[in-house]
Amino acid sequence: MKLIIGYLYGDLMNIYGDTGNIIALQKRAEWRGIDIEIKYISIKNKLKKGDADIFFFGGGQDQAQSIVAIDLVKSDKGKVISQEIERGVPLLSICGGYQLLGDYYKPHEGPKLEGIGLFPAYTIAGDIRMIGNIVVESMFGKLVGFENHSGKTYLNKNAIPLGMVIKGFGNNGEDKLEGCIYKNAIGCYMHGSLLPKNPKLADWLLKKALEVKYKKKIELKLLDDTLELQAQSSTVKRFG
Amino acid sequence: MRLIFAILLGKLIAYFTRILKIGGGSAAPGLFALKIDPDLVKKLSSKISQNIVITGTNGKTTTAKMLAHFAKASGLKVIRNHTGSNLERGIASTLILRSHLTSGKLEKLDYDLGIWELDEAAFNSIAPKLKPKAVVILNLSRDQLDRYGETDKIVNDWCQTLKKLSPDTNLLINKDDKNLAKLKFCFGGKMLKFGLPANIKLNGLNGSIFQFTVHSSQFTVNLPLPGVYHIYDTVAALTTANALRMPINSCIESLKTFNPAFGRVEKLPFGYIFLIKNPAGATQVFETIAPNIKPLDRLLLALNNNLADGTDVSWIWDAGFERLQVTGYRLQVIASGTRAHDLALRLKYAGFDPKQIIIEPDLKKALEQAREGLKGRLFILPTYTAMLELQSILTKSGIKKHYWKEDA
Repeated sequence: MKLIIGYLYGDLMNIYGDTGNIIALQKRAEWRGIDIEIKYISIKNKLKKGDADIFFFGGGQDQAQSIVAIDLVKSDKGKVISQEIERGVPLLSICGGYQLLGDYYKPHEGPKLEGIGLFPAYTIAGDIRMIGNIVVESMFGKLVGFENHSGKTYLNKNAIPLGMVIKGFGNNGEDKLEGCIYKNAIGCYMHGSLLPKNPKLADWLLKKALEVKYKKKIELKLLDDTLELQAQSSTVKRFG
Repeated sequence: MRLIFAILLGKLIAYFTRILKIGGGSAAPGLFALKIDPDLVKKLSSKISQNIVITGTNGKTTTAKMLAHFAKASGLKVIRNHTGSNLERGIASTLILRSHLTSGKLEKLDYDLGIWELDEAAFNSIAPKLKPKAVVILNLSRDQLDRYGETDKIVNDWCQTLKKLSPDTNLLINKDDKNLAKLKFCFGGKMLKFGLPANIKLNGLNGSIFQFTVHSSQFTVNLPLPGVYHIYDTVAALTTANALRMPINSCIESLKTFNPAFGRVEKLPFGYIFLIKNPAGATQVFETIAPNIKPLDRLLLALNNNLADGTDVSWIWDAGFERLQVTGYRLQVIASGTRAHDLALRLKYAGFDPKQIIIEPDLKKALEQAREGLKGRLFILPTYTAMLELQSILTKSGIKKHYWKEDA
């Protein structure tokens, strides 16, 4: 079996150690004999249905983020991503990537940056930076990460959060919610990197990708996750 | 009067911190004295003939120390902040300790050259106060996002600061660093560029030999520090020395007796210490040591996430730990520090077998374990506060002297 990871704007949206998520997906697939190809999808590339079996979208600097926001809409990549998510292709987006996949981002000054409306959520520029270790209770158990954002994201009424904040700020520092899930797409503020220390979530993404691609039920081979779970629990113990 | 009082208080605090052995007096005296006279740095530094400012993500301390070494070899008297305390309080402390009061009056500071390393943020608030003759910008890459912010923001702030400097200032800049390219539009004065020199021959952990060209004369440099990143530091220091009209020949000659800054790269009786603190710097260290690791050697890595290290450890996923892999035999690795588990996990995903990784968060115990039965050499790679802790452990076991007693 083989999976293609579509790394969205990896050249522009890669500043927070989020590349660890790609490494985690790649290694955890390879340890099970599943081949991985990483496809970089950026400004100059085209995207069509079936190009990637799983998407990753990281965080970037402000200037890069506005360039990417424009390209998502103008190049139709946003539309293709939305259609792929509708048919069940999994996606993980962090921070800036998460914000751009919502309805819109409203900066302090100037016009709104239109998102692609994949997540029923919107983001407003805030005045304080929400920085620190974060622990979240979710359907994947406890998740640990590190957040660093000033944008405040609010979920619409029908949106499903990724989890409840135990320690940290989460979406906006107000409603104790963190992230958003829509179909098999996840958006959240958890850097860290997220997937290495949260192997259950990494495996869920791989499983969904294989099931959609090969159109059958998949049971992933168990791995020895001693180090992963130690790193997770030591973080929970320190900060949770 | 305010200044005199501030200096007196600073000296008093320095005296007590040293007597009570609560530190080297490299921050506290300045911290309190600045509360009494916030203009202290500006006032005292103006009593020095020339001031040089050095900033960048990596190599500040080594470059500053090397430039000071060149200056001394050229017969100049140097003052600098030399214990890695590169915030305003560190500079204030240094100035206070070196000021002399005679019957309540401040004497001129008897130094030819002030060399000040400033971190990415401190540069903006302090560089203008020092009225520098030259500003050296070494490089810029992602470092401690929770503290300094993103690189776009840092370079924009530097740009604004450079605009404030007198056009008599010389700006020395690394021309190979793309992140710095924008700065040439921010500065009206004279700009000097440096970059990778010609004919580099790397000689393992012993250092390198290369050609340094200035005013179309070529000099052969024998550098006793390993790694390409130290070549950049050396070229930056030599270019600055030349701009200050120091004799280049004697500067190069003096490299023979140059000792790197504490913990940056250090030779121990049983191995080496290489400081790692951000993705670019750590990857350069990995590239430098990997080809020199031998079968009986061991690796001790220590990751802390105290304030001075950056509380966010996600940077390890941007650093090329994959380069540390050796083929053909199993290298023993000890992961230590407050985030030892994160480090061990990073090593696993970089291709290390979990069975070859020992996790011991306590650095003292980790060091004991690493040295037990050691037949080869031990490569120790600590983050900043782990390095300070290591210095203290080594001092207590009689291997190292206190860092503030090291030669300036």
